[in-house]
Amino acid sequence: MREIEELLKNNKEKIDNLVLPDELEDRLRGALENQEKKSKSNNKWIFKVASILILIILISYNFDTLAYFSKKITGFDPVMNSTLKELNEIGKGQVIGKSFTFENGISVTLDAVMVDDNQLLLFYTEKFDEGNIGENGIESIMSIDGFMGTLHEKGGQGIMNDEKTEMKWIISFDAPKFFQKEFKWEFGIVEGGKTKRGEITFTLDRSKAMGCTLKSRINKSVKLNDRKIKFDSIQASETSTVIKGSIQNIFQLALDQVSDNRIRPESLELKLIANGKELQWQGKGMSTNFDGIKFDYEFEPLPKHLDDLKIKVIGLIADYDEDKIVDIVVGDNIKTINIQDQNIIINKVYESDKETFVTITTEDHVVLSRIFLMIDGKKVELQNTISNNNEKKRDGVITHTRTLKFVGTGEKLELKIERIKYKKTVNEVIDIPVK
Amino acid sequence: MDTESLVKKAKKGDKNALVKLIMDKKQDYYKIAYVYMKNSEDTMDAMEDMIVVLYQNIHKLKKEKAFYSWSKKILVNCCKNLLRKNNKVVLLENTKEEAYEENFHSKETGIILEEHLSKLNEKHREVIKLRYYLDMDYKTISQVLKIPTGTVKSRISNGLKKLKVSLGGENL
Repeated sequence: MREIEELLKNNKEKIDNLVLPDELEDRLRGALENQEKKSKSNNKWIFKVASILILIILISYNFDTLAYFSKKITGFDPVMNSTLKELNEIGKGQVIGKSFTFENGISVTLDAVMVDDNQLLLFYTEKFDEGNIGENGIESIMSIDGFMGTLHEKGGQGIMNDEKTEMKWIISFDAPKFFQKEFKWEFGIVEGGKTKRGEITFTLDRSKAMGCTLKSRINKSVKLNDRKIKFDSIQASETSTVIKGSIQNIFQLALDQVSDNRIRPESLELKLIANGKELQWQGKGMSTNFDGIKFDYEFEPLPKHLDDLKIKVIGLIADYDEDKIVDIVVGDNIKTINIQDQNIIINKVYESDKETFVTITTEDHVVLSRIFLMIDGKKVELQNTISNNNEKKRDGVITHTRTLKFVGTGEKLELKIERIKYKKTVNEVIDIPVK
Repeated sequence: MDTESLVKKAKKGDKNALVKLIMDKKQDYYKIAYVYMKNSEDTMDAMEDMIVVLYQNIHKLKKEKAFYSWSKKILVNCCKNLLRKNNKVVLLENTKEEAYEENFHSKETGIILEEHLSKLNEKHREVIKLRYYLDMDYKTISQVLKIPTGTVKSRISNGLKKLKVSLGGENL
């Protein structure tokens, strides 16, 4: 029996030596691309009669006369960054202190909120004396329903106590509109496969809202091949600085679809430099919809005394449609081809009795994200990539050599490249006027 | 960022966090799926199916720590579903020349063994591969396949016995 186990272990080596395909991550992202979490429709208000709206506005603006002055948010120091601590010190948070308890004993307390033009921050505490709050906390599908629309959650962070019975969270939501005051925060827990919902209502004290410290239209573009990265606006508040822009407009997007020349941006590298010092980035997002490709970048707040502000555009990693057929023959040092300014060296083509292998070298940021081998006119997909090897050249360029394996052999061989992903370095600086 | 924080983010619908969780252990996932699917393209299909299922169901996952064992269970199910859907009898792979020099003898034996393995019944073949190709312990196999540990042990030992008979047994 031991010999069989030995044999099995030998076969295991083959599995251990599997080389993962380059496109795995792209495939996973692609699979998620069109997935939407089911969320409730929030446009039901839009169709209400205007007279009712006006009535509600009149009532609500005269309704809330509570004074919140000089109360501070307590217990959140470990979760707050230095900016939030300072703002809390000067009483910029609005203390709420309302709770909701589920039947199983889990309680949720909305401690406070903080608002400026970039976001609404929710400070809340979850408690569960019967067990581990980390495993039984509220479900993350949360929304804040306000008058004329929902605020979507953007992200956040939490800290658990040592006993694991309590957790303090700060979660960021979209900034509310100027006319929104009454909110309903909805959340849920999952128990025995069923979701149980809870809610807490709160009223915003508009006198606490911090607005923004700098709001400016940038309206400048950086050229990238035949496209433009357009920077639309920068909005700095007490809690963050947000830069918004787009990579192409709807007209271009439609044109690209028609001409089979799409670009799928993956990430844009930016730096925001204030008074010569780089600011930390806190988050970024990119979305494609009917308005084209939009991005937003979030950095820490700007320094109090601002003399000089610059955006440094480093580069863009994106996946481009391509349509190139390259003749190859069995042998060494075949040729170098250039696709979209990227050199692809075809070092070697060789075959076994059943497979054809193509060894290529590119810079390390270049991936042929969709490639086929035409064997006597028949399209064969890439089976896998073997023997990866990275090498750093003297000039600092890192090259990546790998061998592509295709099943089948034939007389006439052509590589068919349908997509290529690479990083386009831009290195341009945009000055933002500071008033 | 640690696993638990990433899982929390993924629960909030953060797709990048979910992709990162998978990519952090990509080798493990890829190997599991490959053992079932036997080729790269189907392996990636199974992983695509898995990530969609994870995204739609991650809010049901109570223990963040259990993300990896939970997701591997789902991956195995996705593989089995795909094999069923394609109504594929997983045939023995064609003999492949590797791009590197290899001990010819051990390769031969490997192929013969693989051939005999493919004759075993699915239940036996599956536990043997998880145990010997992926180094999973009995407990992990029992979690992934949702069968008791005792059953895992008996299937492995019966599977090995059958394999021995199948191989002719004399010289092993």
